[in-house]
Amino acid sequence: MSDRRGVLADPDTGDDPGRALVGLITEDQAPLLARPFFADGDPGPIVAALAQVPELLEATAPFLGAVLGPSAVPTRTKEIVVLRTSARASCRYCIEAHTVVARDAGLSVREVRALRGELDACTVFADCGDQAVIGWCDALVSVGPVRPEAKAALLVCFADNEVVELTLLAATTLLLNRFCTALDLPTSAGVLARLAAEGLA
Amino acid sequence: MSALADAIAAGALGERVWLYSNYHCNLACAYCLTDSAPSSPRRELAAEAMVTVAHQAAELGFKALGVTGGEPFLRPDMAETLAAMAAVLPTVVLTNATLFSGDRLERLRPLADLDVAVQVSLDRAEATANDELRAPGNHARVVDAIPRLVEAGIRVRIGTTLDPDAEISDTEQANLCALHRSLGVSDEDHVVRPVVRRGRAAACDMGVVAAVSDLPPELTITVDGAFWSPFGPTVREGRLDTDLLVTRTTEPLSCPASALARLVEDRPPGGDARLGIR
Repeated sequence: MSDRRGVLADPDTGDDPGRALVGLITEDQAPLLARPFFADGDPGPIVAALAQVPELLEATAPFLGAVLGPSAVPTRTKEIVVLRTSARASCRYCIEAHTVVARDAGLSVREVRALRGELDACTVFADCGDQAVIGWCDALVSVGPVRPEAKAALLVCFADNEVVELTLLAATTLLLNRFCTALDLPTSAGVLARLAAEGLA
Repeated sequence: MSALADAIAAGALGERVWLYSNYHCNLACAYCLTDSAPSSPRRELAAEAMVTVAHQAAELGFKALGVTGGEPFLRPDMAETLAAMAAVLPTVVLTNATLFSGDRLERLRPLADLDVAVQVSLDRAEATANDELRAPGNHARVVDAIPRLVEAGIRVRIGTTLDPDAEISDTEQANLCALHRSLGVSDEDHVVRPVVRRGRAAACDMGVVAAVSDLPPELTITVDGAFWSPFGPTVREGRLDTDLLVTRTTEPLSCPASALARLVEDRPPGGDARLGIR
């Protein structure tokens, strides 16, 4: 275990709300295995943090891409999972980032507000599939056994492969929620501007 | 033979594994890659870890070891650690040779019977020019130490690092070679390389720019991780450079070695590294 030894990239105290707990690797300092992730510009703070350990970035990024990226489950449904889970886990970074992604995926401002817990989700979401997914996320965020009624509701609307994917997506979101929250990852200026413009800041 | 051993045997991957034993130094040379100085954090590799690297390097097909720093001989366990490493693979250690007197010299004597070379930094034939970038009195100490090492039966190499902007005449270069020969060091044991614009040299606006394509791939192990070459784990104004970092994992050695081999495979075809810095 490193004792920091006085020489590491830009260690921060975590006291500044605008700065991350660890140094976020910039393109000019990107380790060799991490360089492909910087080839198209700023890869965002999750990758920039993971680049501190390039062998972990190399393994983690494809996994995250597979779980969070386009798949058999519609993007809109996946964003319901990510935003709802993040809101339940109180991850400021993921809520802000995925509010924008959710809007781009076709969710309305009211739906986004409901997923964030600002409106009643049962009132806003009429579709039983959406409601089942939201209930599934709420159940997964809780510690201990998953509620039987949440399981039953999900199985009514989704096939086994979709249940697996939705569950892995929620679990991976929780992983990212804790990672981003613990490391105080900063929200980009572009996302903050978009949130402000849409009255969702 | 494994793919890794094949790559080493074919010369695609450097045959030597380098280890940064520590980062502190009794000098603070103007062109130091690691910004080392007496006050630098030590950041030492444990002796057992260094010997473990030696054994794993041999198993993977590497042919030689190198130890650098900082000044390795500030560590009291360095002579014994070198002996243990050299029992596994031929080993070269880079040093400023300013500490070889009394007990320290005595502890080096067993290295005479092992495949160890002590590579001493000596940049210029004239003391004033040499000491300008290193330290006052450095030239005199080095010229004093080398014959004692040679007399003790230890193989000595001389490493000369030159500022590419310095105007060094053919006469002075000839004088330097005459000097090392007079000290008992042959031409084949004299290596010359340019100052590389990294670390303190970059802060001092010195040296040649060296991209990854300019540097031969030589697996380099430090307390901060594994790097592309010994020119990789540089420190500038207290901050570690990560642009030539390969992996944070260093043990087992197969992890960074395999990653380095993959990076080498992905390089565009071509000859040796452009600058041939070694």
